[in-house]
Amino acid sequence: MAIVEDRRRVTTRLTFLQYLITVVFSVLAVSFWVLQVVQHAKFEEMAENNHQRTLPLRAPRGLVLDRDGKVLVENRQSYSISIDRERSKDLNRTIRLLAAVLGIDEAGVRTIVDRHRREPTYRPITIVQDATLAQVAAVRARRLDTELPDVVVEQVPTRQYPETKGAHLFGYVGEVSDAQVAAGDAGLKSGDIVGQSGIEKIYNAMLMGEDGARRVVVNSVGREIRTLEEDQPTEGHRLQLTIDIDVQGAIEDSFDVLGFNGAAVVLDPMSGDVLGFTSRPAYDPNAFAAGIDRVTWASLTSDEDRPLNDRAIQGRYSPGSTFKMAVATAALQEGVITPDFKVHCTGGATFYGRPFKCWKKGGHGTVDLRHAIEQSCNVYFYTIGNMTGIDKIHKWATLLGLGEKSGIDLPNEVQGLVPSPEWKQQYRKEKWYAGETVSVSIGQGSVSVTPVSMAVYAATLANGGTRVTPHLLKAVDDGSGWKPVPPPPPRSKAPLDPVKLQAIRDGLWMVVNQAGTGHNAILKGYDVSGKTGTAQVISNQGKERAGKTDKDLRDNGWFVFFAPRDNPQIAGVVFLEHGVHGSNAALVAHHVLDTFFAKKEARPMPPRPEFKANLVP
Amino acid sequence: MFERRLYYHIDWALLFAIFALCAFGVATIYSATFDPTHGASHRYVVQMYAVGLGVIAMMVMLTLDYRTFTDKSHLIYVAILAVLIYVLLFGHEGKGARRWIPLGGFNLQPSEFAKIAVALVLAKFFGENRGAPQWTDLAIGGVLTLIPLGLIAKEPDLGTAVTLLPIFLAIAYLAGMQMRILGILLLASVLAAPIAWKFALKDYQKSRISTFIDPSLDAKGAGYQQIQARITVGSGGLTGKGFRQGTQGQLRFLPEVDNDFIFSVLAEEHGFAGVLVALGLYLFVILRALEAARLAKDRLGSYLVLGVLASFTFQVVYNVTMSAGLAPVKGLTLPLMSYGGSSMIATLAGFGLILNVRMRRFTN
Repeated sequence: MAIVEDRRRVTTRLTFLQYLITVVFSVLAVSFWVLQVVQHAKFEEMAENNHQRTLPLRAPRGLVLDRDGKVLVENRQSYSISIDRERSKDLNRTIRLLAAVLGIDEAGVRTIVDRHRREPTYRPITIVQDATLAQVAAVRARRLDTELPDVVVEQVPTRQYPETKGAHLFGYVGEVSDAQVAAGDAGLKSGDIVGQSGIEKIYNAMLMGEDGARRVVVNSVGREIRTLEEDQPTEGHRLQLTIDIDVQGAIEDSFDVLGFNGAAVVLDPMSGDVLGFTSRPAYDPNAFAAGIDRVTWASLTSDEDRPLNDRAIQGRYSPGSTFKMAVATAALQEGVITPDFKVHCTGGATFYGRPFKCWKKGGHGTVDLRHAIEQSCNVYFYTIGNMTGIDKIHKWATLLGLGEKSGIDLPNEVQGLVPSPEWKQQYRKEKWYAGETVSVSIGQGSVSVTPVSMAVYAATLANGGTRVTPHLLKAVDDGSGWKPVPPPPPRSKAPLDPVKLQAIRDGLWMVVNQAGTGHNAILKGYDVSGKTGTAQVISNQGKERAGKTDKDLRDNGWFVFFAPRDNPQIAGVVFLEHGVHGSNAALVAHHVLDTFFAKKEARPMPPRPEFKANLVP
Repeated sequence: MFERRLYYHIDWALLFAIFALCAFGVATIYSATFDPTHGASHRYVVQMYAVGLGVIAMMVMLTLDYRTFTDKSHLIYVAILAVLIYVLLFGHEGKGARRWIPLGGFNLQPSEFAKIAVALVLAKFFGENRGAPQWTDLAIGGVLTLIPLGLIAKEPDLGTAVTLLPIFLAIAYLAGMQMRILGILLLASVLAAPIAWKFALKDYQKSRISTFIDPSLDAKGAGYQQIQARITVGSGGLTGKGFRQGTQGQLRFLPEVDNDFIFSVLAEEHGFAGVLVALGLYLFVILRALEAARLAKDRLGSYLVLGVLASFTFQVVYNVTMSAGLAPVKGLTLPLMSYGGSSMIATLAGFGLILNVRMRRFTN
């Protein structure tokens, strides 16, 4: 009885178990069907993300060449070390280990990581740019040990400036800023290296090229197993500049020898080609190429001499006597005077009840325009300036390029100032006083100019009134061969009477070749024409009040020039900050001109100059 | 002893399914442990030896009447307890646990054999009682289960220890344990869960459970394996990525690919089709064994078959669920397929007992 009951119960319960098991297995099969068939696409993508990595292949920036094809800016290979947070299991541990392996400060690494924390995790955070080979080797060894699977060593083309010349011209590159990414120009993404100033910035879109990518299979510890496909990067466009590296070198050498800060811009007066461009003090653009270190950056930004400031396009200075040609042009063109107009200089004159001094105590005697320019007679220009009036001076100075932006293809150019009654009313809410016109006539008062606008001024006087636009880009090679870039159109064309203009040119020729102050620039057979300018940094009274001070209160020196007088091939300006006298600037011009013509005529180039500045005021 | 006619009563279909699963396992181990730089690992060869030893163990279990084993079950049980204590005291240590006895190049894992011992002793104990088991019977059976369970849990090897419970529950169920009692036991365990959570579970075990509920809580830690398991299985698709073509297993995004997660690798490389074949084989093996329990000539035989089958089934179901990322990660292997000699030998020996019961259903 019990046995039968037992047997029946066993059978029932075993049947129940059979059904139970069948149901359980069915549920399992359905679960797998859901995972493997219904949700397959999602998991397949996740598996792919797991084992495939897309590594960027950085595009080298385009080369930059000078007008003769000499390489000015190139690239070298460097290594960067980054953390790929997607692969990090313990980011803190990675930071600690990596800092130890690299021998760098852990807090520094943490700061870098924090700065990029909000970016998508698939984007590696670069910790060290331009790592040393020892650092690379140390990291690679650990990676293979799978100790640091989330650390990536990448080969990156890095900017190199073999000539440490023309820093402000080339500018520098650096990691794109958050603001630049936000602005979204040209599809920039975080981590990109972009031009931050100079040519590198203004032609960044051309220079940048397009990054490529390599898709690789990696295993669970991030080791690369094989490459799936490779999309080669496209190198940036190559740029040929109008710069002549020998002219550039002549400028730089001269500044080195003289030891002054300042700026110089040298142009082809017919086309506006910039042959040489310098601002001093300079910096080493190589220091930025692989990410500038904090110490160097701090020293550059806190330096009172402001080496990052491009004086050639951003410095505004009083032009001093170099402004006199603008006043002469206005007086001649408006018919106020003729070149033969004479003024008697006794060393000073009184206008509107106020005395105005000439720089020569005894006076120049009776001078005409040519001699007034040669001697830089202040009284002559006080007189004709006063006769011409501020409006006409303003008009002609502007036509010659002063107080205007030159339009050069460099970022952040500033505008100088040639004052006018309208300007004064608008910005100072004051009436124009006739006495101010007298000061302006010798380039004092509120006149201020940038060196580059002075170069344009020299070129305009040289070429007969065409205000060329200075430009640096001569040709571009986008990979399909060089294509010349047409020079930008002139900003304006002043209707200058050639006869009247010739009088001014004669005066400028006399400055250099006869009894003038530009004698230092003389170059036999090349009819160098030019004008010095010596502009006070502080008034005489102020100088006395300041007494003994650490501040450099020496006068600024200018020299604007072109040559030869009657068929000018080169024009430019040299500006020496606290250069004491314009004649020192003429020394620089001399070496530049000597080099330029020697090269043109295939003569041996002049050796590095050995001149010394005259420091007696 | 081994009568010739018994030969005709061997369940060849069951045997075939078992060895098909073994072959599937060896092939998957070969694929999962293949290293592109060093070639095939020797592990699949070791596994084949284990299958060979398992076949011998199976034959040993077939030669004697199963009643001979149950008659001596108390001795076997005591012997295995002694061995488990020995392991605890002198066992070979690895991965933070003492589970093995080194036997000259081969590490024996006694806990795998404890399952058979418990099945034998419980089959005998409940088989001797007529009628539905009383509270005292259940208590004694429970203690008999809990002693080895405690010893194994102390190694610690909670996964293997837990597989002893289904043996007790299944035999007690078949012996007629009232459903009411089963309900009370289930209720008690539900109530005990929070207490166990607070006092009994270690932190890593807690984190496994909480990350099971939400794997993204700890996507790089405990939840990692679970997420990777799902990716592995899901990316296999209908027909799989092909033999040795799995990326998840081959590139080690999933750990223990020849062991705990071997079924995931199978699912990745052979897809839903391969999963259906494997699940079908397991289901066939289990149903066929249940058939043996039904056909057994006495209760003792039924209980023994079900006891052996219970831990096997529990492990298969749990491991397959886990390998799809649908259960918390637990160190439970997949019997017949996972890499591991002791498990293979013990499992095949267990099936020897099942075949034995079926084979001798007509003898006296």
